[in-house]
Amino acid sequence: MMLLRLITWPYVRKHLLRTLLTTAGIVLGVAVFVGMHTANQSVLHAFNRTVYQIAGATQLQVTAGEAGFPEEILEKVQAHPGVAVAVPVIEAAVQTGIEGQGNLLILGVDMTGDRSLRDYDLENAGDTIIEDPLVFLAQPDSLIVSEQFSRRTGLALNRKLTMRTMQGPRQFTIRGVMKSAGMASAFGGNLAIMDVYAAQLVFGRGRKFDRIDLTVRAGASVDGVRRGLQRALGEGLQVDPPGSRGKQFEAMLQIYSMSGNVTSIFALFIGLFLIYNTFSIAVTQRRSEIGILRALGATRGQIKRLFLLESGITGLLGSLAGLALGVIIARGMAAYIGGLIGNVYGVAQRAEEVAADPRLLASALGLGLLTSLIAGWLPARNAAQVDPVRALQKGRVQVISAGENRARRLTAAVMLALAVVCVFYGHQQAVFYTGYLLSILAVLLMTPALGNWLTQALRPALKRIRPVEGALAADSLLQAPRRTSGAVAALALSIALVIGLGGIARSSFESITTWAETALNPDFFITGSESITQRSFCFSDTLGPEIAAVPGVEEVQAVRTVRIIHQGTPVMLVATDVERLARRVRLKVIEGRRQEMYAGAARGEGVVISDNFALIHRVHLGDVLRVPSPGGMLSLRVLGVVQDYSDTQGTILLDRRLFLRHWRDDTINAFRVYLRPGAARDAVRQDLLNRFGGQMRFYVLTNQELKDYIRKLTEQWFGLTYVQIAVAVLVAILGIVNALTVSISDRRRELGVLRAVGGLRNQIRHTIWIEALTIGVLGLTIGFALGAVHLYYILEVAKRDLSGTRLDYRYPFQIAATLLPVVLGAALISAIGPAESAVRGSLVEALEYE
Amino acid sequence: MIQLSHVVKEFDGKRKVRALDGVSLRIAKGEMVSLVGPSGSGKSTLLNLIGTLDKPTSGEISIDGATLSGLADDDLTRVRRDKIGFIFQFFNLLPSLSCMENVSMPLHLRGWSRRQTRERARELLDLVGLGQRLDHLPDELSGGERQRVAIARALSVYPPIILADEPTGNLDTATGADILDLVRDLHQRLNATILMVTHDRAIAESCHRTITLRDGRIVGDLSRNAAS
Repeated sequence: MMLLRLITWPYVRKHLLRTLLTTAGIVLGVAVFVGMHTANQSVLHAFNRTVYQIAGATQLQVTAGEAGFPEEILEKVQAHPGVAVAVPVIEAAVQTGIEGQGNLLILGVDMTGDRSLRDYDLENAGDTIIEDPLVFLAQPDSLIVSEQFSRRTGLALNRKLTMRTMQGPRQFTIRGVMKSAGMASAFGGNLAIMDVYAAQLVFGRGRKFDRIDLTVRAGASVDGVRRGLQRALGEGLQVDPPGSRGKQFEAMLQIYSMSGNVTSIFALFIGLFLIYNTFSIAVTQRRSEIGILRALGATRGQIKRLFLLESGITGLLGSLAGLALGVIIARGMAAYIGGLIGNVYGVAQRAEEVAADPRLLASALGLGLLTSLIAGWLPARNAAQVDPVRALQKGRVQVISAGENRARRLTAAVMLALAVVCVFYGHQQAVFYTGYLLSILAVLLMTPALGNWLTQALRPALKRIRPVEGALAADSLLQAPRRTSGAVAALALSIALVIGLGGIARSSFESITTWAETALNPDFFITGSESITQRSFCFSDTLGPEIAAVPGVEEVQAVRTVRIIHQGTPVMLVATDVERLARRVRLKVIEGRRQEMYAGAARGEGVVISDNFALIHRVHLGDVLRVPSPGGMLSLRVLGVVQDYSDTQGTILLDRRLFLRHWRDDTINAFRVYLRPGAARDAVRQDLLNRFGGQMRFYVLTNQELKDYIRKLTEQWFGLTYVQIAVAVLVAILGIVNALTVSISDRRRELGVLRAVGGLRNQIRHTIWIEALTIGVLGLTIGFALGAVHLYYILEVAKRDLSGTRLDYRYPFQIAATLLPVVLGAALISAIGPAESAVRGSLVEALEYE
Repeated sequence: MIQLSHVVKEFDGKRKVRALDGVSLRIAKGEMVSLVGPSGSGKSTLLNLIGTLDKPTSGEISIDGATLSGLADDDLTRVRRDKIGFIFQFFNLLPSLSCMENVSMPLHLRGWSRRQTRERARELLDLVGLGQRLDHLPDELSGGERQRVAIARALSVYPPIILADEPTGNLDTATGADILDLVRDLHQRLNATILMVTHDRAIAESCHRTITLRDGRIVGDLSRNAAS
């Protein structure tokens, strides 16, 4: 500690800016890691909290995914000997339409039994309706809202609220206001309770419930009852504790955790290079200090420990700052991810509080610290090996690198060869990821050599641009490749990260756009909700023929989409008239033959699955899927695999008749409407709205509006990718600033000599600028190449472990073109400060600088 | 010709230090002058001021009749690169450059072509006896050889003035004597004005003239008829 105070602290104080720049890599790496995971956890926590708050005393829940199940299931459940109380529930999130209030979570319950499960802690005289539930039941327009919602919206007791229902606009009366605690605080307080049978009408559920909440009899084992009930109801229904909903929701968030992990690992890797670079140079700069310490009796071990301790402290401070920044980032991201999950999956949660998990914070801290120690290990070892005699000889300047390391190039070549081998055996996960890591490491190890070759190639051009300065800059890089190779590697990594992220965004955009052009070809989409992804409101199937009868309409395809649980994860089930769909839509076939698969599916012989479903669940043509339905577990053969981006978790397409038979659900989420050739689009739309708009919730989206919505959703989906790109660019800029600051201060004496032997200020200035630009060009070139490799792997990761999405390899040339001026501009701007300090400082001091 | 008139140099720090206190002197073209004095007497400061590496706090310095005061940094650099060659005690060679490249550097900064710089560098390295060490790095040379490279660099444009700050201070006696012989030989062959800071009495006495500094002032100025 004494050495740290006497030796390290004065050095850090003297090079404060450099220390901060070095630490920043770790700060950003840890911050992205903490930010992404905390945001995900907060969204999950908010979801779970809502689940638990509205679950009340519920011990088990009976569900059939989103599809719901017929009312008679309730009787079966209630009749089970282990069940004490079982009550039906309908749960739906609806847009309030009130500015700034977002969605309202409506819980349809049977008040007669529900009070034994949930505590309706009402504020005042409204208690009468709870004292006598019949009052509540007798008035199906009753609504209980939370005190928070009441206060925010001004909807006090006995006030009327008009809601658009599947029976047209209906007026509801606030007959109770729940105190702001317990259940009332679920979903950020945006909670309303109504009668379950009223909810069936409001949401067009028919005679179905979404869920049954139950408690077990005193003394009965919850797990025992769960198993007994599961046996009694069959595998088509799920009997689980309320907490299991969180696990399904977590699967949806996994994609964000994974992409956040990739970015933070890259950022930490970059941080590692920045620390390595700075510490390597610090060791050479401080060699006389090390020599003195050694002469005074410090052992090699003490010197090594001193440098390791310094890198450890850098890592610790960087990680602590990263934790704080990460929590701040998480605050912004949680609401964003929450909103996105709500929009994409229609899942109700409000991530308003950010909960930082101490275990996550501890692992992030450990990760930052470990990265720093790894980065500091080699420089620390080099410091320990400094020869005190040579170090104390003035004028004996130790060159950072006298040349390229043959062993390193050989190692890189071996790694590259192994990475290529891994590509061929990449079906095994461990081999694939080993190959990924090896390819990145190989390029990084080759960075000094690549940098040298590139600089040699650039030298004639630089010399032509500025004969003196261009050649000086190139020579400076050629003569000490390892001085800048750490920074070039860090820059290349950042650029590769940007290329990877940008590439996956571009591939996704293009694939989704192509798919949307093919799959979403009806003229109109008619839904009961404001957005196509919300499935709270359903139409009756009798509406289809009525729409078809409207003049100008040629064909109507009724679609029912429900999220079901398949092997523990939520997937989308799409039920429609497959034969008619196949006539209109020609999705790219991955496995199977088009005509046969659709014909078979139309006959109810099996299903057609999306490519991402096939990849996530590792199923192929001819396999048999076990799909849960309220009527029992179905065995459905896979008749074909098509490219379909309807849902990130995968889709199963089956014929609606099969769905009706097993789900006994005749409701419809959306109608795909095709117009007759020559029909006046606007007139037909208006006609549809005039006929049905007044009777029910009825939204007509044109083809373009839906595509715009999908595009907006995709952009929103990739919003976080852009944030990650911004972080990567920031890290890239940081790398350049760090490299130049470190490099210039390391070369202070050298630049002093240049000035002493006749270098003009502008010559020195321009040399540093050109050097910075060349570092930028090296980073960009290696980064673009590394990015191409990284993009290949990240697309593979997306396909096999993330979303199962098979995306075409499309290099993001536009992003690469944008990076050119950004990185070169950043390099030039970063060079201005160091260049000015080099030309303005005292020449005498510079010549004496050690 | 070098002329200094009432030159004062002060350094600001926790306390102000006057390194040179009203120094006036004239050095004629072709003279070989040694500058002696105890540590802290202002020898290196005087050399830096004449070499345009630093500026005086007050007073006038002129070289070949042109005054240096009021010149911008780049103009001072031009004076330095056209008229002055530096030999440092600790060589100040660029460690990552070969002997040839180190000697070429001042020429390169003038925009000479690669062929011209290489020719001149080779010629100078031959002159200092290092014609066989063109591609060696400074770290691969002995102290004396490094100083020879530094001398070759100082001579790269055949400057009329050579400033040497203890050129033998970091060398053993035999090597120091070799270097001194080389400097003297160059002086005779090139007729350059040489101003050399030294602690070595024998070296000082081998010069035409010896100026002694103490506490920033000239306390002695002894001329001899010829170098011994």
